[in-house]
Amino acid sequence: MDQAQDLKKCPIDFDHESEDHVASWPAEFREMRDTCPVAWTERHGGFWVATRYKDIVAMAQDDATFSSFKTFDPHSGDVSGGITIPATPIPRGLPVESDRPDWDVFRKFLNRRFAPKAAEARRQNIRRYADSLLNRVIETGEMDLVNDFTGPVPAMTTMELMGLPLEEWRQFADPLHEMVFTPKNSPDFPKVIADVQWIFQRCIETFHQRRSQPPQDDLLSYFAHEQIDGRPITEEEMLSFCNNIITGGVDTTTALTTHALVYLNEHPEDYRRLKDDPSLLPVAREEFVRYFTPIHGLARNVTRDVEVNNARMEKGDRVYLAWAAANRDPEIFDAPEEVDIARFPNRHIAFGAGMHRCIGSFMARVMFEEMMQAVFARIPDYRVDPERAHRYTSVGTINGWIDMPTVFTPGPRVETGLVL
Amino acid sequence: MKVAIIEERCVGHGMCLLACPELFELSDEDGHAFLRSENVPPALQEAVLQAQRGCPEQAIVTSA
Ligand code: HEM
Ligand code: SF4
Repeated sequence: MDQAQDLKKCPIDFDHESEDHVASWPAEFREMRDTCPVAWTERHGGFWVATRYKDIVAMAQDDATFSSFKTFDPHSGDVSGGITIPATPIPRGLPVESDRPDWDVFRKFLNRRFAPKAAEARRQNIRRYADSLLNRVIETGEMDLVNDFTGPVPAMTTMELMGLPLEEWRQFADPLHEMVFTPKNSPDFPKVIADVQWIFQRCIETFHQRRSQPPQDDLLSYFAHEQIDGRPITEEEMLSFCNNIITGGVDTTTALTTHALVYLNEHPEDYRRLKDDPSLLPVAREEFVRYFTPIHGLARNVTRDVEVNNARMEKGDRVYLAWAAANRDPEIFDAPEEVDIARFPNRHIAFGAGMHRCIGSFMARVMFEEMMQAVFARIPDYRVDPERAHRYTSVGTINGWIDMPTVFTPGPRVETGLVL
Repeated sequence: MKVAIIEERCVGHGMCLLACPELFELSDEDGHAFLRSENVPPALQEAVLQAQRGCPEQAIVTSA
């Protein structure tokens, strides 16, 4: 045991969930990359923290050694593995918390539905949600950017994708946001969890309805009718897919778009460049994804003794891959702490690396672009007020804004065929 | 110049498409990259090198 402790070299007191980390992370990661790129912290039961780009990509690519597999027993509450530190006592997400060979089957089952063409096919509807949401506020000249716009657009896009009724957008959007920023010890937390449970209950009901209906174009219908390995998919698997898609796709895209709009308000020259020439958006978009890295880091579980950059990991250890630290590694990026909206090439890993790399990235990219275009077209003189806004009190998993007061010159509603 | 994609490494970041849409495409099945042609005309060499430098998985190889 003592000898095992000796192996945990480069000890630091790192806690990605702490309030200090919200402000200090760029400096903290800079120092860790320099002085102890694979560090050991005793927090949350002890885990490794990797901060250099090359180490993180190598580990993400070595999925046999660095497992994502999670088990959870709802009766005892016992949980092990998975991609969060601390481990969360809820059923696993799929495909994200599975390993090969199961992962191949789950991922293949979903791929087509998330491929570039499938994402592109949603562009018009996404713009329609963005415009309909702006219609609610455009005549007043003010809104909360997060709760009225960057939150609901991904929520509604995801509901349509799943096959859930759009009228319930508010009951869907709010809990998915609150779940991420409400501290687990807050008195509000049980209600947030109950509201999230309601969303999954809606998924279960719709899934069973779809079983007795002819196949439709939505995911819940796809889950209800298609087979995996020659058998129907179970309710448990269906919920794990929904969990991964809903929690992986909504608040991340919200955080990305909010950060970008705040940045552009503070950098009017960049704003003008993008607004005047939206063909620059795809390259700029990747720079925002790099710089703001909405998912700061995720965990893996060590399946055999292995050495990474002089750190001797043992079977059973856990390791936090800090995508946000990798994306500011000066070995890979010039002037990594600065935003350069024309940065290219840009080999960021904000969507992860290796086989679990984000399946929803094409969808996220389309949502981001359509939200930006709607802002350019309809509220071009928007002003955000970060002084009055609130950051998440923990950024260890998602780095976002709770709210963002915003004003603009009032404008006319436009016809979208959808009243919210 | 010639270019190839190491299929086992490609996971669909799409940086190659952004760098050189003339030669790279992404599959409608799984979002992974494939090539329209392995021969790189001189006018596209710089774009292909950018694709190579932009690929986080080092899945793109070029040869003279
Ligand atoms: C800016 C927005 C987004 C960011 C930053 C992001 C980030 C990530 C990251 C870092 C991973 C890798 C997980 C790992 O390595 O353990 C991932 C996987 C995943 N993401 Fe996203 N994501 C975004 C949007 C979306 C959207 C819109 C969807 C769905 C509509 C989605 C669904 C998924 C799924 C299902 C996986 C698991 C893939 C697998 O395990 O094979 N994500 N995402
Ligand atoms: S950038 Fe690399 S990993 Fe991504 S699609 Fe292109 S070849 Fe594949």
